[in-house]
Amino acid sequence: MKLTGLGVSPGVAVGRALVFRQHTFDIRFRVSPQAIDHELGRLQQARDRSRRQIVEIKDRIARTAGSDHAYLFEAQLLMLDDPMLADRAVHFIRAEHMNAEWAVRRAGEELTALFDQTADPYLRERKGDVADVMGRIRLNLRPQSASAQIPGSVEGPVVLVADELAPSTAAQVDWRRVVGFATDVGSWTYHTAILARSLHVPAVVGLHDASTRIPAGATVAVDGSSGEVIVDPSPDLLAQIDAWRSRDVEAERALEEFRHGPAVTADGVRIRLEANIERPEEVVVARKYGAEGIGLYRSEFLLIRGAGAGLATVDEDAQYAAYRTVLEQMAPERVTVRTFDVGEDDLYPGSGAAHLSRPVLGRRGIRLSLAHPDLFKTQLRALLRAARHGALRIMFPFVSGAEEIRAARAVLADAVDELRARGDTPPAVPVGIMIEVPSAALTADLLAADADFFSVGTNDLIQCCLAVDRSDDRVSRLYEPCHPAVLRVLRHVSRSARRAALPLSLCGEMAAEPGALALLIGLGITEFSMVPTAIPMAKRVIRDLRADEARRAAAKALRAATVADVERAVEAVRFTHNARRSDP
Amino acid sequence: MRSLAVRITNPLGLHARAAARFVHAAGAFSCQIRVACGSRVMDGKSIMGLLLLAAAHGTEIVIATDGPDEAAAIETLAQLVAGGFEP
Repeated sequence: MKLTGLGVSPGVAVGRALVFRQHTFDIRFRVSPQAIDHELGRLQQARDRSRRQIVEIKDRIARTAGSDHAYLFEAQLLMLDDPMLADRAVHFIRAEHMNAEWAVRRAGEELTALFDQTADPYLRERKGDVADVMGRIRLNLRPQSASAQIPGSVEGPVVLVADELAPSTAAQVDWRRVVGFATDVGSWTYHTAILARSLHVPAVVGLHDASTRIPAGATVAVDGSSGEVIVDPSPDLLAQIDAWRSRDVEAERALEEFRHGPAVTADGVRIRLEANIERPEEVVVARKYGAEGIGLYRSEFLLIRGAGAGLATVDEDAQYAAYRTVLEQMAPERVTVRTFDVGEDDLYPGSGAAHLSRPVLGRRGIRLSLAHPDLFKTQLRALLRAARHGALRIMFPFVSGAEEIRAARAVLADAVDELRARGDTPPAVPVGIMIEVPSAALTADLLAADADFFSVGTNDLIQCCLAVDRSDDRVSRLYEPCHPAVLRVLRHVSRSARRAALPLSLCGEMAAEPGALALLIGLGITEFSMVPTAIPMAKRVIRDLRADEARRAAAKALRAATVADVERAVEAVRFTHNARRSDP
Repeated sequence: MRSLAVRITNPLGLHARAAARFVHAAGAFSCQIRVACGSRVMDGKSIMGLLLLAAAHGTEIVIATDGPDEAAAIETLAQLVAGGFEP
């Protein structure tokens, strides 16, 4: 069984699954007036115990991961004593005779509701800290607090599989024994992801249902670079994992060596490498890995999710702030913001990771934005206002034809007029489209007249082109980036862009694979955007590659009838041009 | 009672780390401390309250202190904010 999520901490690890599901059961009842003091005492004890535990965790984190990460627990300690939490819980016990568990839960719910109301996406994530503190107090209200260290009595290396790994749980983990982890929820900036990277433990998050699908005790391989989790890997695969491991050691070395300096092929073709990010804070990561710009800034984190919310976003000012932060930090390099790309199904999520699954053929991307012009216009106004703070490009996702570009541009023109009416004249901003629907790819030569740039989204383009839903286990094998059909489509897009002198870039996982990257360069694509961690390796591949050789391989691959033939054509490309020169 | 308006200068705004530093500093004083941002007013000794102000980079907050050590408190806290919450 193979599960795919988001690799948030690179590296490969194999171990036995320790499945951990956070579950706290509360009993709620009204206490008799005589028992109120007893309840207050229990609450006090639970808070004292919690405080000791958090201090201990904080100290441990400060020792192992550095004081940079310990502040999260500093904040939790303050939350534990916060009048908005502690005093409220005491009030509920005193005035409403709730038992301590109920009072704590109620106080937590009040706070969570307040956090939900705020427009700030960063803040809405701080809810996790509140929930963590509340969960800890409730655990400590239990008669005997089971605070045994994870993984406890399990033998050998362990892969921790959890529905959700709260920072406090993660901190109780003995990381010498736990070699990797996989969680159902999470994103790149998930606390635990940050922690995993600092501890150099491979991690995959956003797996949706891994904690229910992976049986406890099963052998699990976690690839934090590709985002794959393999349950019961075959002996062949286990052998291959050793190869992956050496690849990751190399990746670390590549980071140090290739972080700085441009990506130029051995025969002098300049390649531009940018980063995909989904949160403003990731700019720091992008910079660290040597990104020359942000090629894909996903804006979905600005959407407000939640039962009954429908399609809603944080307000214009909060959006403006989120765009501006990234533009300022990347200036003068460009930042390409993709307007909201969600499907309607995502708006009524069951889990925090709902945005990871997007319907392939539904009303999503520009289709959904055009159906909600006011919301779309708000986003565009915020973008236009932010434009003066850096080099902004606006990109529309999931475009299938010229009509949609024109309709979207009309909304953009309205947004400009509205800003002018307010006395604010926004600068001109390049407006481009994602090429990810086959109809757009096949008419790229025509769409060039309506767009200022193209950005190929390979993940969806491949899925749609090959009619393969990658999340469907029965057909996911058929997802082949190097399928002859994909190459032909890409050639058409590349040619169309070149003839129209339109900037073309490509974002998607495909570019992170050396052979595919060589093919893409061979097809004439010279700008790529990828997860920040993939940039140093890509840079190395590029420096060791000759573009003329890649072009010959691509020409050969374009005549191939099967994926195997394409791969044979790629094998002729040598990735040793510079490496050989530097080796004695 | 004293009050002073200060602008948030650090890029991330009044986020968890900054709020924690503020509450720590505020806790050293016995006076009552209130922080206002826009129309919202929160207890300056409550990290949740400060977080909920959602004070972003560039916004102005008003610190108000009331009590015996109000002068020292307002000076310390205003400096902390103006200095980008670096200790």
